[in-house]
Amino acid sequence: MTEPALPLAGLRVLDISSFIAAPAAAVVLGDWGADVIKVEGPEGDPNRRIMHDSANYPTADVNYPWEMDSRNKRSLALDLKKPEARAALDRLIATADIVICNFPPLVRDRLRLAYDDLKAVNPRLIYASLTGYGEEGPDRDRPGFDATAYFARSGLLDAQRYEGGPPGVPGPAQGDRATAMALVSSILMALIHRMKSGEGSWVGTSLLGNGLWSCGVIAQAALVGAFLAPRPPPDRPRSALGNIYRTSDDRWLQLTIVREDKMWAPLARAVGHPELIDDPRFAMVDERRRNSAALATVLREAFAGRNYVHWLAALSKAEITFGVISRPQDVPDDHQAVACGAIVETAIPDMPRTLSNPIRLGFAEQRIAHPAPALGQHNEEILREAGLSASEIAALRASGAMT
Amino acid sequence: MTEPAEPLPLEPLPLEGLKVLDISSFIAAPVAAVVLADYGADVIKIEPPDGDPHRQNWKNAGYPRSNVNFPWQLDGRLKRSLALDLKNAEARGVLEKLIARADVMIVNFPPPARERLRLRWEDIEPINPRLVYCSLTGYGETGPDRDRPGFDITAYFGRSGILDAGRYEGAPPAISLPGQGDRATAMTLVAAILLGLRRRDQTGKGGWVGTSLYANGAWANGTTMAGAAIGAKLPPRQPPDKPRNALTNLYRTRDDRWLQLLVVRDDRLWVTLCTAIDRPELATDPRFTDREERKARAIELHGVLAPVFASRTYAEWESALAKTGIPFGVIGRVADVVDDEQAVHAGIFADTTNPEVPRTVNNPIRLGFAKPRVSGPPAAVGQHNDEILRELGHSDAEIAALKKAGVMG
Repeated sequence: MTEPALPLAGLRVLDISSFIAAPAAAVVLGDWGADVIKVEGPEGDPNRRIMHDSANYPTADVNYPWEMDSRNKRSLALDLKKPEARAALDRLIATADIVICNFPPLVRDRLRLAYDDLKAVNPRLIYASLTGYGEEGPDRDRPGFDATAYFARSGLLDAQRYEGGPPGVPGPAQGDRATAMALVSSILMALIHRMKSGEGSWVGTSLLGNGLWSCGVIAQAALVGAFLAPRPPPDRPRSALGNIYRTSDDRWLQLTIVREDKMWAPLARAVGHPELIDDPRFAMVDERRRNSAALATVLREAFAGRNYVHWLAALSKAEITFGVISRPQDVPDDHQAVACGAIVETAIPDMPRTLSNPIRLGFAEQRIAHPAPALGQHNEEILREAGLSASEIAALRASGAMT
Repeated sequence: MTEPAEPLPLEPLPLEGLKVLDISSFIAAPVAAVVLADYGADVIKIEPPDGDPHRQNWKNAGYPRSNVNFPWQLDGRLKRSLALDLKNAEARGVLEKLIARADVMIVNFPPPARERLRLRWEDIEPINPRLVYCSLTGYGETGPDRDRPGFDITAYFGRSGILDAGRYEGAPPAISLPGQGDRATAMTLVAAILLGLRRRDQTGKGGWVGTSLYANGAWANGTTMAGAAIGAKLPPRQPPDKPRNALTNLYRTRDDRWLQLLVVRDDRLWVTLCTAIDRPELATDPRFTDREERKARAIELHGVLAPVFASRTYAEWESALAKTGIPFGVIGRVADVVDDEQAVHAGIFADTTNPEVPRTVNNPIRLGFAKPRVSGPPAAVGQHNDEILRELGHSDAEIAALKKAGVMG
């Protein structure tokens, strides 16, 4: 299963988790060589169906989110509510290095999958736990999703809105995937600890903690009583030259003119309004700030008159600084996205390209993505590896604990 | 985790004994060094004589107004500062001594500056082949934009499509917050460094590790991106009054808060929801009996639910929904979060010993066997010059000579 040159080769990971943040951490470990076994209930991880269940997912014929979040994993389908399944799982846990779990604490206790339960089976085990809101406290058992725990509860969405507008809206799984990297880091710290002490441990993180970490600047400001003023909408910006404008084809340009004294005249010419240069309302920085709404109106109409491609060329020619607001569909064909290793090829015929994880190592390449497993595809193989005999496997089937 | 009931484990911190050189500026790369320091590493920040420009960011118009340098507490904590003018030829000797004894070095110069300063991995490897050399770029180590300075708003958010994907239909692009993508990227850098250390333990060899803001933005936007890579149809985001799914939507409450309903498993939770909001008759309403109908009539269903949610305060909804298993949340305000009991339980904030900034934000990693270090005031530029040079074996006379040569600015 694994290639010896990869830094996590030889490690066995049980991904007993669902949806995205925790399984994505298992993906990253698998990318770097770990043997990842996904343990699913008889109905499978609901993430197998999320593209159909969520209206906010891009739709396609290929189940791309499942392929991405399950690449290079093997699947074992067990009904953990049945004692026979639980006993079989213990045999597997005894052979594992890492368990990743995202059941809320109550469910963990009910399934006897709390750290103390598993430590008794395998004291060298690293137990990585992902929760929405932490391991303790009034909301510890609340199911957490990235939209609620990472983005909403942390204050991110409230801070990401224009004055008077609705809260910001996160992309699907945006916080989950960022959180996965914190979970990976915590697991790697535990491996260092195990190497030194010979002992396993509990490690973990929460979506809420990661959301607050990412908005750490404003959270730290709030801790000293400082708050961000709401962002004025683009039709009445603080500065019309540090503002966003819509083009005729519904793209957006982000003007970021810092050297106004130098760039004001070239800008006025580039937008086809040379008369603005001598307009007393916009003569100097102070006047332009004071009349920013009027200036924004002129610029808004000008930018709306031509398409995005025109403006890219016109602004570049005049050496006017602006930021590119890419559309997601532009990124896969962006040479730089390939150059930075974000977009990679797969061995999956109907999904030839995917996203690699953002870690780059000079001494190893991530494994190429192979198709995600069907539910229970590797039942026999995995249980045999865990030392179950053919008759034990047959008995497990007969009990209904595994199909 | 909150304070455990049992006594604190007395094991050493996992990164104790590790020597880290943070030769980076601004946020993403220095924050990775903070996380290593939180868990025990000895971090030396090498700054130009006028300091990391991030020391001045708190005065930036995009930052909340304050009379204390709060971001520097967050991103400069637990580091020692050595002010070194890397352009001064005589600084090289000091730097190479530091590199020779370091385990990890973090840089974020764009490739041309790295080359000019002879700080590329191939320049450093001969000095210390066991070093884990970590670089952060805006857009990657190769390619047409590799030398372009990258900030999180441009490289992580703008270029990756996050700002475009995060806008409501017909509305302007989404907004990102100061350092938001930087801090997420830092956790990837930490993982990359730890993988480098693991490999060193296995083989005795150091090596290059790194990441880019662009790749991290694309990763965060990965679901949408993976769809885009196979030509999936990308749905625009409907504003809250025209949802595509009324059960995963925002509702304004009577006290002008926004409640975020996130009933993904409405196959299981529809009846529960109707009961919880005191509208049991909806459960048998033929317009909304199954998932497909609820989705097809999303705007109609929103028309039913919006006045229901607007009739009570968020606190009332909180108690009505809390025990039902229905996923929901409030659009939190940062002002509330700092006093959120759950945030305390989740170990999100920490006390400092710096009276000016008495509380700070913990990094999100929790370990059962160790607690992050408590931070004091962050170092002034060059505060530890003499101490560090003495550790390198320089005599007082040598230190004086270095200062005279302008090496420390």
